[in-house]
Amino acid sequence: MRNRSPIALFIVLLCLFSVAADDASDESILLTFIPNVQFSPFYVGIDSGHFAEAGFNVTLEHLQEPDVLDLVALGQANFGIVSGEQVILARAQGRDVVYVFEWFQRYPVGLVYSSAKDLSDLGDLSGMTVGIPGRFGASYSGLTTLLHSAGLSEADIEVAEIGFNAPEVFCLGAIDAAIVYVNNEPLQIRQRARAGECGDVADVDVVTVASQVDLVSNGMIVSRALLTEAPSAVRRMAGALGAALREAIDNPAGAYLASLNHVDDLPQSADFVAELQAASERQQAFLAGDPDRAAIARSRQDLADALSAQFEADLLTQFSVLLNTIELWEAERLGYSDLASWEAMRETLDLMGDLGGELGDLADAFTNEFLSGSDG
Amino acid sequence: MQKPAPTLKRNTQFLSARRNALRRLSPLATVLLLLLIWLWISDNAIISPILVPPPADVAAAFADALADGSLPAHTLTTLGEMFYGLLLGVGIGLAIGYAIAKAPVLEHVLSPIIVAFQSTPIVAYAPLLIIWFGTGPASKVVTTAVIVFFPTLVNTIAGLRAVSPNLLDVMRSLNAGRWQIFRLLELPSASPILLAGLKTSSTLAVIGAVVGEFVNPQRGLGYLVTSARNRYDTPLVYVSVLTMTAIALSLYSLVALVEWRCLLWRRRSLN
Repeated sequence: MRNRSPIALFIVLLCLFSVAADDASDESILLTFIPNVQFSPFYVGIDSGHFAEAGFNVTLEHLQEPDVLDLVALGQANFGIVSGEQVILARAQGRDVVYVFEWFQRYPVGLVYSSAKDLSDLGDLSGMTVGIPGRFGASYSGLTTLLHSAGLSEADIEVAEIGFNAPEVFCLGAIDAAIVYVNNEPLQIRQRARAGECGDVADVDVVTVASQVDLVSNGMIVSRALLTEAPSAVRRMAGALGAALREAIDNPAGAYLASLNHVDDLPQSADFVAELQAASERQQAFLAGDPDRAAIARSRQDLADALSAQFEADLLTQFSVLLNTIELWEAERLGYSDLASWEAMRETLDLMGDLGGELGDLADAFTNEFLSGSDG
Repeated sequence: MQKPAPTLKRNTQFLSARRNALRRLSPLATVLLLLLIWLWISDNAIISPILVPPPADVAAAFADALADGSLPAHTLTTLGEMFYGLLLGVGIGLAIGYAIAKAPVLEHVLSPIIVAFQSTPIVAYAPLLIIWFGTGPASKVVTTAVIVFFPTLVNTIAGLRAVSPNLLDVMRSLNAGRWQIFRLLELPSASPILLAGLKTSSTLAVIGAVVGEFVNPQRGLGYLVTSARNRYDTPLVYVSVLTMTAIALSLYSLVALVEWRCLLWRRRSLN
């Protein structure tokens, strides 16, 4: 009889290898919209190994927000990213999901208007035409909040539902102001204005919702069942997202480079990529010195200034969007949300008359328990 | 040959009437069966109410939407877009179809454009139609027109080409004018195929209008679905979808009725 021990040993090693490989579980994180530089923390999380270190082989999927929420509520996916108002609306309709990590610390919506019009006092909006994608979602919540904070109601203005075409419609002069995502559209409008392609608009100003009221914004949700059955998985995922988000905030050049691996149409050139790689390495050396938050913020501004001096604005547009978005993420304690911001959002939804059912205790909608450094 | 006995004749008539009644009732029986299955699923919590809400919740959402006027208002918007879209799409389809049937060279010239346009999913260029025709009802009307155009065109060509050449020769030998040939021969001969196309178009019109409303949701049943979905109001989503189904079925039945009335002469002549 032939000696079969080498084969047996090979099979045992193969089994051991398979078990080791299976230690990392496959996990989909459900996102909204389409692959975009604004999701760079997730790309950093994958490329820098934060998710893998936490035991997850992460893939990203992009869906409509209600679909993300329902799939998580039904347990068909464990982790999803939605806005806070969706959590409140869905819970009022019986979806038992819990918000465990606030990704955007500042509400990303605001009102853009020509600098020639002084709308710093929002009460002056009365009688004006304001463009909005539609009477739904974060934009509508933002408009309702801004109007309420100025003591106005929808009846005081002319609302034009323009889809997601604010730069085009604004520059055609069909509206006086528009509700926009503050990290992106004002930048586009400003570029058009500077190129003389925005009618008589020379520049624009923005009033952010966050400057008026702290509304809970986008973050990670899980189902109540997952929270009960696998709290360690939730803790590991929240920790990994926190680490990836911090890396993206602290090193935007690295975050942009990671995004290039996941977003097809990001502007790039060989020179630009080489400069970003050098900047990323410099930033890592700088971060090794344990600088404070203010110094890191200055380093981002310095990088923006240096890149603007070297490259065309078109090439830098998405990098500028990333820098603007980082301002919405930045916080001393990432992931943390407080009850006041949830109550403010519920008040907005009440104003909109959108809460269709019994919400129950708002404190059940979120928890900070699973953030890094939390007890328990 | 002997005449059938009166009793046998009565029995045959009775059986035939019963078969007809059963045939008429069978769609209703199917709906009732589906409703019973739905009730059973929700009563036994086999599928989450997030996916399949109980029929009672859907009925309550229907009553609410009816009472607050939102369902009639959005339904009327969609019906309006469908009506004008059908008018435009069917009108253009008939005109171009007639031209192609009469001048086959046109088919070679136009078919690449028409086939390319038709083989592209409507959802792909619906956003462009919104940009071209604005965010108002016009873009939804055009979306509807585009989707109903092709079946009308194809059936018009097929219908007119199916006209008997012998009968055409007869008409020509009688010195009939173009209008007389169209009115007295081509239209009646082509009408079964034309009406079959209209039946397809009428159901597609619902899809066209709703696709437009999904892409740029402002009003209409497509908006109602989007709005209900964004508020996680699954029963209202069901109400909107069932209303669309009812509209499509009603339109189909209406065209079928018109077809039945218009083709009465044909059945009589065949009998």
